[in-house]
Amino acid sequence: MVDPIYLIVIALATAFALGLFRKAPSLLPYGLTLAALAVMTVISGSWAYGILSGSLEGTDIFTAGFTPPVSINLYMGSLEAVLLLLVNLTALMTALVLRKEVKDTSVYMLMLLLVFVMGLNGVIMTRDLFNLFVFIEIVSIASAGLIALRSNLEQLGAGFKFVIAGALTSGFMLIGIIFTYYTTGSLNMDVIASQMSPALAATGYTGLFLIFIGMIMELKPFPVNGWGLDTYEASVPAVSALVAAGTTSAMFYAFLKTSYMSGGLFVQAAAVIGGMTFIGMNVLALQQDKSRRLLGYSSIAQIGLAVLAYALVALYRIENGEFIVFALILTHALAKALLFWLAGIVGKDSIHDWGVIKKKMILIAPFAVAVSALLGLPPFPSFFAKWDLVMGLAARGGMVWIILILSGSLLEAVYLMRWFGNAFKDSFNEEDTLDWRFGTVLPVFFNMTVLLALGYLSASQSSFSMGFNWILLGAVAVLMVLDFLPGIIKNLLLMGAIGYYGYGFVMAAESYRSVFAWIFALGALITLLPGFGVKGKRMGFYPSAALMFAGLIGLIEAVDFMGFFLSWEIMTLGSYFLILRGKDSKPHALSYMLFSLGGAYLLMTGFAMTYAGTGSIALGALVKAAIIPHSGIIFALLAVGFMTKMASAGLHIWLPGAHAEAETDVSPMVSGILLKAGVFGLLMTAISMGEQSIGPVSLPYVLSWVAVITALVANYMAAMQEDAKRLLAYSSIGQMGYALFGISLMSHLGWLSALVISIVHFIYKVTLFLAIGSVAKRTGTRNMYQMGGLITKMPFTFFSVLICIIALSGIPPLAGFSGKWIVYNAVLEKRWMLQGAVAGAAGIIAFLYLFRLIFAIFLGQLKDNHRKVKEAPFFLILPQALLLGLVMFFSFLPGSLLRPVGEILEEFTTAGALEWQGNMAISDYGYWNGVAVMWVFMALFAVFFLILTINGRRAQWIKQFNIVFAAERPARPETTHFSYNFFAPVRKALGFLEYPFTTNFWNRVSDFLHAVAGFCRRIYTGNGQTYLLQMVIFVVLSYMLTKGGF
Amino acid sequence: MTGTIALITGILLVLIGLWGILTNRDIIRMIVGFSLFDVGIHIIMLSIGYVAGGTAPIIENLSDIGKSYVDPVPQALVLTAIVIGLGITAFMLTYAVNMYEKKGTLEIDKFEELKW
Amino acid sequence: MDGFSYNKILFAALTIFFTINYGLILQGIIGKIYARVGRRIGIRLFQPYFNIIRQWATRSAISHGVMYYLGPVFRFTGGAGILIFTPLILDAPLFNSFTYAGDVVLVSYFIFLGTLGMALGGGEAGHPYSAIAVTRGLAQTAAFEISLMLAIYSIAVQYNTISITEIIRAQQGGVLNWTLFTNPIATAAAMLAFLGSMMRSPFDVVLAPQEIPVGPPTEYQSQFLAMLMTNRTIFPVAKTVLYVNLFFGGVALYDSYLLTFVVFFLKTFFVYLWSVFVGVSFPRFRVDQSIRFFIKWPLLIGVIAVVAANIRY
Repeated sequence: MVDPIYLIVIALATAFALGLFRKAPSLLPYGLTLAALAVMTVISGSWAYGILSGSLEGTDIFTAGFTPPVSINLYMGSLEAVLLLLVNLTALMTALVLRKEVKDTSVYMLMLLLVFVMGLNGVIMTRDLFNLFVFIEIVSIASAGLIALRSNLEQLGAGFKFVIAGALTSGFMLIGIIFTYYTTGSLNMDVIASQMSPALAATGYTGLFLIFIGMIMELKPFPVNGWGLDTYEASVPAVSALVAAGTTSAMFYAFLKTSYMSGGLFVQAAAVIGGMTFIGMNVLALQQDKSRRLLGYSSIAQIGLAVLAYALVALYRIENGEFIVFALILTHALAKALLFWLAGIVGKDSIHDWGVIKKKMILIAPFAVAVSALLGLPPFPSFFAKWDLVMGLAARGGMVWIILILSGSLLEAVYLMRWFGNAFKDSFNEEDTLDWRFGTVLPVFFNMTVLLALGYLSASQSSFSMGFNWILLGAVAVLMVLDFLPGIIKNLLLMGAIGYYGYGFVMAAESYRSVFAWIFALGALITLLPGFGVKGKRMGFYPSAALMFAGLIGLIEAVDFMGFFLSWEIMTLGSYFLILRGKDSKPHALSYMLFSLGGAYLLMTGFAMTYAGTGSIALGALVKAAIIPHSGIIFALLAVGFMTKMASAGLHIWLPGAHAEAETDVSPMVSGILLKAGVFGLLMTAISMGEQSIGPVSLPYVLSWVAVITALVANYMAAMQEDAKRLLAYSSIGQMGYALFGISLMSHLGWLSALVISIVHFIYKVTLFLAIGSVAKRTGTRNMYQMGGLITKMPFTFFSVLICIIALSGIPPLAGFSGKWIVYNAVLEKRWMLQGAVAGAAGIIAFLYLFRLIFAIFLGQLKDNHRKVKEAPFFLILPQALLLGLVMFFSFLPGSLLRPVGEILEEFTTAGALEWQGNMAISDYGYWNGVAVMWVFMALFAVFFLILTINGRRAQWIKQFNIVFAAERPARPETTHFSYNFFAPVRKALGFLEYPFTTNFWNRVSDFLHAVAGFCRRIYTGNGQTYLLQMVIFVVLSYMLTKGGF
Repeated sequence: MTGTIALITGILLVLIGLWGILTNRDIIRMIVGFSLFDVGIHIIMLSIGYVAGGTAPIIENLSDIGKSYVDPVPQALVLTAIVIGLGITAFMLTYAVNMYEKKGTLEIDKFEELKW
Repeated sequence: MDGFSYNKILFAALTIFFTINYGLILQGIIGKIYARVGRRIGIRLFQPYFNIIRQWATRSAISHGVMYYLGPVFRFTGGAGILIFTPLILDAPLFNSFTYAGDVVLVSYFIFLGTLGMALGGGEAGHPYSAIAVTRGLAQTAAFEISLMLAIYSIAVQYNTISITEIIRAQQGGVLNWTLFTNPIATAAAMLAFLGSMMRSPFDVVLAPQEIPVGPPTEYQSQFLAMLMTNRTIFPVAKTVLYVNLFFGGVALYDSYLLTFVVFFLKTFFVYLWSVFVGVSFPRFRVDQSIRFFIKWPLLIGVIAVVAANIRY
């Protein structure tokens, strides 16, 4: 194996050799640099491979023929090898990206680059304190040169701030090193570490502290990092990439080494500084709209997180700490380098101008991957690291830190997802161009691939074994690769895959899981059908849909919290991308994502507390969690987490926009299917944990009130909408309110109603969204007052809507009534009549919006511009027809639905279960024979129809305008269509329900955070001298606080 | 005694340097401050390795063995540190020249293009 | 709770026939009362018979479309359905033909089938007034149903059942066993809701019969109207019977058929008369006013009824 010292030798030698070329624009020096970096990459790569595969062992490298402490020594171990590989690869890629800069500037830039990389290699490998200082200085000088590559004013300013900040830092470090040498008599970190004792720590405190604080300042801690932000913003993006990925990783490792040397003396301070940095930078970034500076904020925040993670691992003795810390660092380095390179390709600084990225749609993929990886979403290493960290913290009682980490992550999601959404949705100037070259694009896709691969690898490194089926994600990856194919083929592939996998999946699902398995699998197949009607490639749609369905399937298959949570996040991610595709869905997709992530973090906390209390992450541990301390809090966390997905009152504001603005076939997916994931989770929690309370407050009781208020207000809001899809969206919120109410009843009948409502809501909401979607498509508007009289133009769609609204409203004889009837019985059993009455009132209000929906669109007067509207296309009708068949089946034989579902629930509780006599369901209070009702209805209907037809067979069928309006014929009858502000009197009486309490509340939260960010970021005055002053104060304060005085 | 004086001198120089860096708006004056700061650190380093009455740690002939000599390591370090300090100072000055050429001023608070 | 047998079809038809006749007579009487209160002579007692026969016999008819055509069918199906799902007379097989199909929840939801069908049918006629009336009706219904629901919950807790037959049975054995006396608060809430459901003053802005009449029936003529009119004879009776069953002891089967019918007549008549009394005495609410009315006092009384029942039983 090549001696690692050659890493340094090669870089240095090549750098010197380049001096032989004079300002040559020729390819030779450039090629030489690439070759040198490539060789370095290969060397570090072979070491990494060798050590990780076990064929090599970590090696000391001695210099000058002596052993330490007399000489300087380097060390090559697994961590070093991996970091070296990372740094050298990033440098190689950066060199590729910098091709154009090389032409524009001179060969000196290449020399700087090589020296820079050499310094980083040295920083990573060295075990000698002073040598570390030297390498840091080399890195610092070289990067200061690279920062000012274009020598414009911004770069000069930033570079100068960087240099003076670096000089100050290294001054402190140097004093620290010499003091440490004075007290320990050695410069070798291993030697010092081996001597470290409390006594030595006390006498050498100042020296050790100065080294610590110096290293920390290299990592740009909040709030003394204005110079770091300037650097990220001003540099050529490729250089920023190298700084973000290379320098920070190397410096972080050096920080780890020195911290190890001092025996973890400053771990608490590191935790505080890291946490402060993570939160502080993420808050301040909220107001940032310059993409590179934003990335700077994010980089510093991420390093803060890594420092925090390291400190917490040490403080709480969390297992698998090395994995946690390095997964975070590697993910950050790869993702951040990718994003900076991307910023170079896009060439726009304001995040509002990033729409131009859509000129090459394929660039969205790496962008999405990088953002997801930074946020710690699956399947990236950071996800597993965060999971291990949170679980470990919970088990060791570090709840405060969990809250801090998760809130910081949520804040980070705000600005990263906003940025991504902007890029994906904003229009762009056709004249703008992308820097689309082999050299710029290759690195981006390379890092994307590495991130994905590392994600897969790191799953097995987590200390939690996980039941997740990677085949699901494999299918998504295949679709991603095949995205160049026509949409129809991809649709066939996806449906085939779901059909093939889904059969076994549904059969394997047990208990109440099978209900949801049916909904998810069948729903996937049915809602994918309309895709056949969409022409073209539909780039990105199928991978996203596959991602969502993979998550949903994984949710059912999960056996432990980790598999469950991973699937949950995957599902969220997939649905976010789907929702984002809608025309005006940008803000709604963002709020969907943020609420989902917030909810997911609550789930994570709940799972972590369960793990802490029971020592198990199996889903079955929830049963044990019912009797541990804080079980009420666990229940509350999980419930609120799942309710976020169900859009319960207070957490619902994301839903109407997200579901209404989504594409025609996406709305049914997210509304009819996805919402059931929340029901599933909550039902699982309720069944497993039973009745829980916090203090004297019974949680199911609280939930029941939230549920019925959700139903009432959502249904009222639905009645007040002019937009048909928004109406349906509010209706979904209301229906989920019923499901929540059913769950909160905590009884056999309550859960039965929740399951039945989930099933029938799936059926009719998918149908309704498809039907209304096709109307919107045909008429070009979603406003109901612009429609009317479409019954003759779209008769099937009308029929479909008619059946669905009867089913939804719960009018017998159709299937919806079963849910209502069960709820009444369950309410009486529980004696929650007040809630029951509110739910009932909500049910009546549902008639309002349902009538409005069908009347305003299909009845009344046809508009002139809709005279040529055609019936919905075949592939929108087909799924509706299938589902209507299902509605009719369940309506004719309600027992075929209620009996098996009831039997499933009898496993958990039999009290109050329905008794069946033939087709008659008998509860403790009443009885209901759905089959009889259906036949009576049909018989009466047939008889009366016959009477009318025989008697009125000569009825004359007249045209649209044959009406009389207050004894006058209206001049333009179509203007008499009564639809706008349909329920004006209701609004007059109950308008207070429309007051946007929730929206205002969340807006205020958002405004407050942004105001804080806007105010606090003024500490970054831009004045280098101020920054220096801040640094000095920071050092002094830190010293006083860590030591507790001078 | 000599060591203590050197140490105190060094610390004073460091503080004076810091004062200079933080109070002068002129970039050149700030750089001078940095130089003082650096020199102060170098003197501190030397004072650390100083052994009262010791000779230079050079063994010219056998009779030197056993004599008390000052610690050579800090001296070696100082040499390196001086070189690095020189490099950094030169670098700062280069920046200063470039900045002056671009903006026609050397006031540090005129270079606030990037902030927040 | 026996199941289906073919003679039940006959029983159901007879029930409907009986109720149509009873409803027509009731209409005549009520019309007379209204007139007399207004110091007019009023219609002949059997005028409703003539009206309905005349409508059925009309030859020409116009239809605005399929839904328009089906509207009356839905409406009548809904009305007749409630009638045969509700026990008219306790334990009389003739008047209990399909009560085995469901309990009070079924009946109260089945009411909406007819309403919806008619609303849709009228909607297709293309006249805005029809839709305006429907919005008013729906809004008012949503308001008064809450107190009715609370009342029903209250008595369901009281009798521990939601089967109408069982509720009637529990009230047998004396006038003081009626819900009216055992649970007066619930009865009060329900009777206020009853006013709303009868579409008489002060809650008659839905149809606004005194001015230009609005609402789906206005859009219909000839046989279509005939069918709606027929429904209008049975529908109030069916509703009234439901209230009698739940709150006034229902109608038991006495040894004498005559006595049974007299009791049936008296109970339904007087309950019906309650809405007429209020109707002739009070001016009309606007829709928003009636919503506000219903979500104030009736709602409060309903809540008290439920809470009281919850404590007592």
